[in-house]
Amino acid sequence: MRRALRKPNEPIAPGSAQFTSAASLRVRLDWFNKLRWGAALGVLAVVSIAGVGLKADIEVRSLLLTGLVLLLLNTVYVVRSWRFPATGIAIELRLVKVQMVCDLILLTVLLHFSGGIENPLMFLYIIHVIIASLLFKGRQIMQIAWLAIFLFTFEVFGEYFGFLSHHHLPIAGEVAHDLPFILMTLGAFWLVILFSAYVGALIMRHNRAIKNELVARQAELLDEDRAKTDFFRFVTHEIKSPVNTAQSGIETALDLGSDTMTPSMRDVLERSVNRLKQATEIIKDLADLTRGGVLKEENLRVVDFNQVVTGVVDTQRETADRAGLKINLVLPDPPVTLTTIRPMVETIVANLVNNAVRYNRPGGRVSVRLVDTGKLVRLVVEDDGIGIPAPEQTLIFDEFYRTEKAREKSNLGTGLGLAIVKKFVGELGGSLELDSTVGQGSIFTVVLPRESRKQRGIEPPAVEIVP
Amino acid sequence: MAENTILIIDDDIDLVEILRVTLENEGYRVIDAQTGQRGLAMAIEQNPDLILLDVMMGKVDEGFQVAYLLRSNEVTADTPILMLTAVTAQTGFKFDLAQDRDFLPVNEFLEKPVSPRNLVDMVRKHLPTNV
Repeated sequence: MRRALRKPNEPIAPGSAQFTSAASLRVRLDWFNKLRWGAALGVLAVVSIAGVGLKADIEVRSLLLTGLVLLLLNTVYVVRSWRFPATGIAIELRLVKVQMVCDLILLTVLLHFSGGIENPLMFLYIIHVIIASLLFKGRQIMQIAWLAIFLFTFEVFGEYFGFLSHHHLPIAGEVAHDLPFILMTLGAFWLVILFSAYVGALIMRHNRAIKNELVARQAELLDEDRAKTDFFRFVTHEIKSPVNTAQSGIETALDLGSDTMTPSMRDVLERSVNRLKQATEIIKDLADLTRGGVLKEENLRVVDFNQVVTGVVDTQRETADRAGLKINLVLPDPPVTLTTIRPMVETIVANLVNNAVRYNRPGGRVSVRLVDTGKLVRLVVEDDGIGIPAPEQTLIFDEFYRTEKAREKSNLGTGLGLAIVKKFVGELGGSLELDSTVGQGSIFTVVLPRESRKQRGIEPPAVEIVP
Repeated sequence: MAENTILIIDDDIDLVEILRVTLENEGYRVIDAQTGQRGLAMAIEQNPDLILLDVMMGKVDEGFQVAYLLRSNEVTADTPILMLTAVTAQTGFKFDLAQDRDFLPVNEFLEKPVSPRNLVDMVRKHLPTNV
């Protein structure tokens, strides 16, 4: 089973609960159109079975005709939705009202031909009131409720006073002219409809308030997150120069003065340089992780992906040879090109291959495969290494997270490599997948688009874990 | 053999002194400037044999501006420029000399931290051989 992780900074569309955009309302409308297909086909099926199949004494022709009218109207709605894109919220809302009025009238006609007050399906009006409360606010919901009440009451009294014909529902009792029953039923009907409208409006108002608050909170959190990233970027930048200069200084001392210093002094300075190199690695990774705004049109280049992967693998071969590892490279022919940010792609490949080499077993294998799938390019980096325990498979993409085994294996890692991979893959519009078994190895799969264009709002990819 | 003069333009005085030790040990004469403006004046006035230029001093692109001005002055138009970079963190832009040579008028990029060996190798590589 594949599990997609939550995208933590995917923005909630503001105002979607209030339909501030015609497009969001259109989505809801399309859903109602689907419901209406079901309703119309349901009517046709039930009437056919009861009237034709079971030969029940009902108004088959009138009922089928009503069902067909509903079907026809819905076809018009669907075609309109398909042919004309949503333009204005006001137009869409007016259309919804027209549709809802038509639905209520058709429901009344259906009830009229199937027993009127004898038919318990009168409570289908409630469904319309509920739908209205999903779409409209306060007074408009009540208008729909009152229209339902008016239509049904008119139908019932029409039959009672004889200016509408009565079509008896065979299984029901003969109550169309039973005034106390009518009054009692209509009273209950009015109460339920009005109460539904009231509760629906209340719940929706509450929901909208909650949603507005969530949207506002999330915007605040995203701002804070951005501020924090800016802060990290600033800190990284400020720390970089002193560390670099200190490293250069000690290296110079070692280079020029090693003949005159004692072995222990030399050892101390070499240790210091190594730690400063580690700090430099962390700073470089933090720089990668905190930078933004790189994905601009002018930074995009046509990049030979075969060449990038070959280059990365070549730089890793020496380390791999020392560890007795074999790197197996499979490349597509002809070479695959990407329109992308070269350093980002290089970093993605380098970090994955580097991990596969570093966390492998002695004498193990690393397989790097590049597959051209037309619009996309798939990079698969597979190792026979220590593997990642299932509970940690999502955590390893977090900043500074390293599994216990990884820490035992090497104290060189910065704990930022995979966080950078995740960030870059997301920025380039790709996706990332991990399949790992402890003791057997890991398979990281990166899918990148052939063309990385500027995305609306950069967000990290959901990492798919494939157990 | 007349000693070669190298001009270091960098606002990090500690780094300047560290680089000076290595370069003077190799027999070069080192002069330095802490701002782009001073460095430019010094380059035109003293015509050094090679310039080590920090990519970013006060402003993000100060190093580049200085490089352009050096290239457009007839005294320094052909002087080799080695650019010291550490801008990766700030702009997210690693320089690719092969691709960017057309609009970056420098001979080489040296990424900080610069090791003494690498520095000496690069200086030797770019110094005019006839001197």
